[in-house]
This record gives sequence, C-alpha cells and structure tokens, in this order.
Amino acid sequence: MTELDLTGVPCPMNWVRTRLALEPLPAGERLEVVLDRGEPLESVPRSAREDGHEVELDGNRVTIVKR
Amino acid sequence: MTLSDPEIERYSRQLVLPEWSGEAQERLRSASAIVVGAGALGSPAALYLVAAGVGTVGVVDDGTVELSNLHRQPLHFTPDLDLPKVTTAAIKLRVLNPEVQVEEYQVRLEEANADAIVAGAGVVLDCTDNFDTRYLVNDTCCAQGVPFVSGAVLGFAGQVMTIVPGRSACYRCAFATPPPAGAVPSCREAGVLGATAGIVGSIQALEALKLLTGIGSPLLDRILQLDALSMEQTLVATERGADCPACARVPAAAQSV
Repeated sequence: MTELDLTGVPCPMNWVRTRLALEPLPAGERLEVVLDRGEPLESVPRSAREDGHEVELDGNRVTIVKR
Repeated sequence: MTLSDPEIERYSRQLVLPEWSGEAQERLRSASAIVVGAGALGSPAALYLVAAGVGTVGVVDDGTVELSNLHRQPLHFTPDLDLPKVTTAAIKLRVLNPEVQVEEYQVRLEEANADAIVAGAGVVLDCTDNFDTRYLVNDTCCAQGVPFVSGAVLGFAGQVMTIVPGRSACYRCAFATPPPAGAVPSCREAGVLGATAGIVGSIQALEALKLLTGIGSPLLDRILQLDALSMEQTLVATERGADCPACARVPAAAQSV
C-alpha cells in the first residue's frame, strides 16, 4: 500500500497529488492519504468517488482503492 | 473629437468592419468598463477591451499572482508572482494600449464599495469565481441600471449571459438563489484549461463591446452554454421575473442601450 501525507496541502492541490499518486498504480491497488479535516476531508474523498474509485474513511486517513 | 492618425491605424482592422464605424470607435473611446476579477475570465476580457480602445477600463481584484494561476490568466507572467493582480494587469494593459485609462481597484468587491466602483460605468464584466460576488454584481448593476455581462467556467463548461437591467432577465431572474452551501464543487471540479476560460472571457469582452457601441444583438434573455469538449453551444431562453427582487422595479427608461 502506498501512503501519502497531505496534511497542510490545500484544495485542490491535495487532489492533484492524489491523482498523480493513483495514476501509476494497477487497478485494485490501495492508496492511503492523510488529509486535513474540513474542506480537504470533504472534497478529496468525494472527488475520488466521482472518478470511480472505492473510498474508505478512518478519521482523517482515507484509503482509495484504484478502480 | 475625431480619431487621430495613430488611432485610425491602431483600430484600422475593426474600423473596416461594415458594422463598425468611426462613430462607434469614438463612442468606445468615451466609454468606461469595469472588469470584476483579474483572473481566468478577466484577463482575456480586459486585454480585448483595452486593445479595442474602450476609453477607461477599471480592474477590480484583491488577489496576488500565484504560480497555479499562470496557466489560465494571460495577464500575469512568471516574474509577477506574489504581486497584486491589479498591478501586474495594469502594467500589461497600459503597455498594450497607452491610449486607454486603466484604473486599479485593489479590493474585493463588497457591499460597502460596490456602489462607488460601479457608479458611472458604461458596462460591467462579472469575471468572478464565486456566487457571493456574482449576485452582488447583479444586484448593484440592476439598482444602478448599468448593463453587465456575466461569465462563468466550470471544468469544460462555460456560461455567458448579458443583462440590461429593466429590459432583459437578470442573473437573479435566471438563477434565483445560489446553489446550496453543501454543493461546493469538489476538487476535481476545480479543474479548468486556460483556453476554455479564454473563450468565455473573450465572449464577455465581445458582448461588452456590442453593448458599448450598440452593434449586433447581445445575449439578452438568453444564456449561452458551451461544452468545450464537444464544442457544442446551446442558447437557453430566460425571461424577467415579475417579482425579481433585483430588477423588477428597475425602469427600462433608465437604460442607455
């Protein structure tokens, strides 16, 4: 599992970083991102779902399963 | 005052348009425009207004230039990072056309200053990126009877609407309320290509030039919707709301257009 610490990284740059980290991963691979609470934690998981990925939340740790 | 030789040469390619005229050019020279927002829409809009010879162009923005702005905001260059957008915008615009009076408003348009900034403008261009300011531009222009052109971009979708208060549907007639707060765009919706915004900003400038010179048919009671991915364009008809809180009581006689 790849991990990405995005605390302190505002929207939409955190989503840009997340997308770039997802890009080389094979389908089904998991990416764990750590996000600030508030807008990042609301917006990044939503954006990931809108792109078709599976998303699991655990506090401010978000696991994205690449579609 | 007639056009000078350098003016005739500078504007020659628009002066030869059958729809244009020396009189139209002089009207433009004595006209003023306010561009609210010096970003992705305001950059191309202000560039084309200044290039075309609108006598006075005011630019309103309280922001500074960031690296992530440069791909879509052609008024700002890499050496401009961290400088106020109105400053870097004014430098470019004055170099582009020294005949034009460029005014800098380094403020965020707010209820406290909107009336004074809009007062006396021939046209206002709403090149903002948020609904609060968009409705403020609408309500201020409607109250003062100042025509304005509203533009917006989201992803590959663009939207333009021209409003002559008292005569055509205003932004509030078409969109009575902002989207609910929960409907904030997600990160993926914050994406945009500069060229898409450039199309919309250019259309806004063209609409403003049409309003100021009286040529053509502006986008009144019609919303232009653009899907830049397919390049499909749709005109959606709108009409004035009889009870619109912004424009229902604006007398059409107040209009110069």
